[in-house]
Amino acid sequence: MRPLTEEETQAVFKKLAEYTGASLKNIIAPQEDGDRNVFRLSQNRVYVVRLSMANLATSIARDNLLSLGTCLGKFTKSGKFRIHITALPILAEHARHKLWIRPNGVMPFLYGGNIVKAHVGRFSEDCPEHQGLVVYTMDDVPLGFGVSARSTAESRRLDPTGVVCFRQADCGEYLRDEDTLFQSG
Amino acid sequence: MAPSKTRTIKNKHAGPKGSTGAAAKGGVKRSATDGVSKPKSKKPKGPVVSQQVKEKNRALLMKRPKKKTYTAEELGIPTLNMITPIGVEKPKGKKKGKVFVDDKESMTTILNLVQAEKEGHIESKMIKARQLEEIREARKVEAEKKAAEKKSMLEDTKESLRKKRKRKNDGKEDNDTKSISLTGTKANKASRKKVSFA
Repeated sequence: MRPLTEEETQAVFKKLAEYTGASLKNIIAPQEDGDRNVFRLSQNRVYVVRLSMANLATSIARDNLLSLGTCLGKFTKSGKFRIHITALPILAEHARHKLWIRPNGVMPFLYGGNIVKAHVGRFSEDCPEHQGLVVYTMDDVPLGFGVSARSTAESRRLDPTGVVCFRQADCGEYLRDEDTLFQSG
Repeated sequence: MAPSKTRTIKNKHAGPKGSTGAAAKGGVKRSATDGVSKPKSKKPKGPVVSQQVKEKNRALLMKRPKKKTYTAEELGIPTLNMITPIGVEKPKGKKKGKVFVDDKESMTTILNLVQAEKEGHIESKMIKARQLEEIREARKVEAEKKAAEKKSMLEDTKESLRKKRKRKNDGKEDNDTKSISLTGTKANKASRKKVSFA
């Protein structure tokens, strides 16, 4: 377990900034009790964890430490950062653009499908093309995140079967990718 | 027997000095006889010093002169014609290993940089989308206008044709329609097919 280097930090922030707005800086802001969140890299996975907990975790051997704090994602072998569904609580809190889906669209999304126009309940205004979106149910429960296929204005003109959002991650992955989500094997 | 004959030399390097030691011995003798040191006593020391210098010179002559080593910059070798490529060679005196970012200040600066970059991207995307939208709207309006014009032209020609027809077939048209309505069309009756079962 180690802190991130400058390049790694930049890669992580770049990916997070796709989905989040200016409030992302609240993640690294000091908390009321004087503690703060830090980024830690353990077996190619990046975790957001409280500094006090990260310090305690140094007493655990590298191989024995499976996970700590909130896993944001992992670095690929080519050095790119891939965000995981486990980062959803952080993204949902600081989302820039949002998309709400109707009850009939929840299950298709949770099974790994893209979101079609017919399933869209609400959509953030002024969302450009290929911009990160956080997907919610109509009751504001975060389900996952994706990338907009078209801008808001264009998607209004789309036919009901047209894809509005390409899925990136959904909560169904907790079941589908159970074996690989927390294990770097 | 043996231990009495063997001589131990405490300092090996002191050996060659033994040759000069003879002069020292002489000095001791003189001091024993005269008690006062005379300027004469300095005479034997002169040639000894010269000998030493000669020996040193000889040693210097025997040694080969040290070759001067040139750096790549002095020789003016092209930078690509080297064993280690430019990118691979690491600057000297720099700390080895990774430089971690763990303090709040540097993280905030990186975050601000990234966010400013992202904002710029999104802004440019939005502007582009708006411009495209405007162009699309303008095209749509133009197309609608053209369609309306075309329609009106068509209507005009239709109208003109109708007027022409009315003039030509003033009373005939009414008779034809009357006859058709009375007799009916024969097309349906002729095309009827029959199917028989055994």
